Amino acid sequence: MSRALPGVLKSQARVRRQTARQVQSSIHGWIMILPALVFLTLFVFIPMAYVVYLSMFQSNFLTPKMRFVGWENYYHLLTAPDFGQALTNTAVLAAGMVFLSLPLALALAILVNMRLSGNSVYRTVLFGPYVIPLVGSGLMFTLLFNTDGGLVNRIVEIFGGHPIDWLGGRQSALLSVLILSIWQYTGYYMLVFLAGLQNVPQHLKESCRVDGGGLWSTLRHVTLPALAPSLFFAIVVCLIQTFQTFDQVYVMTGGGPDGASTTLAYYIFEKGFQMYDIGTSSAASVVLFAMLALLTWLQVSFSNRWVEEES
Amino acid sequence: MNAKRLRLQLAHSTVHIVLIILCVVCTTPLFWMIRTALAPSADILSSHLWPNHLAFGNFVTAWHAQPFLLFLGNSLLTNATIVACQLGTSALAAYSLVFIPYQGKRLVFFTTLLAMMVPMQATFVPIYSMLSTFHLINTYGALILPFVGSAFGVFLMRQGFLSIPKEMVQAARVDGATEWQILVNIVLPHAKPTVATLVLLNFVYHYNSLFWPLIATNTNNMRVVPVALSYFLTQDAGQSLQWNLAMAFDVFAIAPVVILFLLGQRYFVQGVTGISLKG
Repeated sequence: MSRALPGVLKSQARVRRQTARQVQSSIHGWIMILPALVFLTLFVFIPMAYVVYLSMFQSNFLTPKMRFVGWENYYHLLTAPDFGQALTNTAVLAAGMVFLSLPLALALAILVNMRLSGNSVYRTVLFGPYVIPLVGSGLMFTLLFNTDGGLVNRIVEIFGGHPIDWLGGRQSALLSVLILSIWQYTGYYMLVFLAGLQNVPQHLKESCRVDGGGLWSTLRHVTLPALAPSLFFAIVVCLIQTFQTFDQVYVMTGGGPDGASTTLAYYIFEKGFQMYDIGTSSAASVVLFAMLALLTWLQVSFSNRWVEEES
Repeated sequence: MNAKRLRLQLAHSTVHIVLIILCVVCTTPLFWMIRTALAPSADILSSHLWPNHLAFGNFVTAWHAQPFLLFLGNSLLTNATIVACQLGTSALAAYSLVFIPYQGKRLVFFTTLLAMMVPMQATFVPIYSMLSTFHLINTYGALILPFVGSAFGVFLMRQGFLSIPKEMVQAARVDGATEWQILVNIVLPHAKPTVATLVLLNFVYHYNSLFWPLIATNTNNMRVVPVALSYFLTQDAGQSLQWNLAMAFDVFAIAPVVILFLLGQRYFVQGVTGISLKG
């Protein structure tokens, strides 16, 4: 008894010391994460919650009076033709990016991955546009699409076509925005695919070749399946990026003509910042947020599944 | 054997030609920008691929027409501050998430991830009214404060820190080092590529971004480069725009990021591929 006591005391002291250390380390952990968390709360979470709140009111920047309208702003969006137009335009852009930019990026990645001499030069040049500010490239493309004497129309004329009012036409305005986006982002997706390609197991490729598989069947049965995670990542990021399209529209078309190239992000900006219709703008923000949340959730859950399958 | 080699060479040449054509298409807008910037006013929209005589004076005129150095100064000052702040908050948060065991860590991490999918375009109204309550609109504070915390930064740093052996940190702790000392002297030096990637990617991202500075500033002396550039079009309403001067200004605006990209290419590539691989 008297001999056991010091042992018990000692172990109690050890437990106390351990909990003290645990508490201390928790405190350290929380202190270190606090700055990031506080700023994210102030400038992301609270504003997001407030946007949801604002979407239930009719209000503007000019008068402080707010009128509670419930779901009315959302009903308004459902029936407003300009919002429908913005959604359609955004969907068209997204489809254009997924079906034009991504296949092109994949083809480029396969070509650049062939380890030819000078492929790092090709890679640099093709990725280059991604780092250029969209305002800068928007200005360049406005010049290229210029109605009289722009380079694009000059090329159209060489091939016997008639000059087109690219940025002023109802269909061509959105097409111009799409062309700029393809130029800007394809190099980025090429790099994403290139990283995926470098993960394709070399021995599988070789065994496919030994079995008499040609270039095409190697591509179909080995490369593309191994590329599935990158492909999924690229599609989701591409959709997220397209849903936020703003700069291109602001610089090149201003959303016109008559809303023909207004995107969802531009619609929110226009309603909120130029027309001071905070209720409608906030409701549209919630729609944008919901769509992005869905996409991010898809991406996180799928990439988790792939990671688990691998390990 | 010979025929096979010939076929291979032929295939390679074809690939080279295709890639060269695509690279030419890719650089055409940049070429046209420089070509127009060098064209005398009469020659801007002419059909010449290259102006007959080069008007280098356009660059001088464009330089004096707008206070470019002021815009660049605003951009560099606010972007450097943003990146420094992000590096600080992200490194601390990532260290906490990777190396310190405590309750509620997973929840914190998922909350951070949640912040990644909220774009500024959806939240600018409350942020604007909040900052205007504190009379911060049209100040450097308005340009910097919303970006001090970065979910993307936390995510990227966490990925970088995960590859650092935990035993190293544990050993330093046994030796009596404080968490702060471990972060500064051991973890950060081992995560140099991640730090470089974060700095470069975020600097370029903020240097290029138009949306928030457009909303948060309203006088000429507070403009950053992208906002100044966008005013070329909205002010001159397209028609009377002097394209050669606009393109000369465009060259000034783009030069910093292009130089940065050429110098730090490796880190850009690492940033893009690293993120995509880890999802």
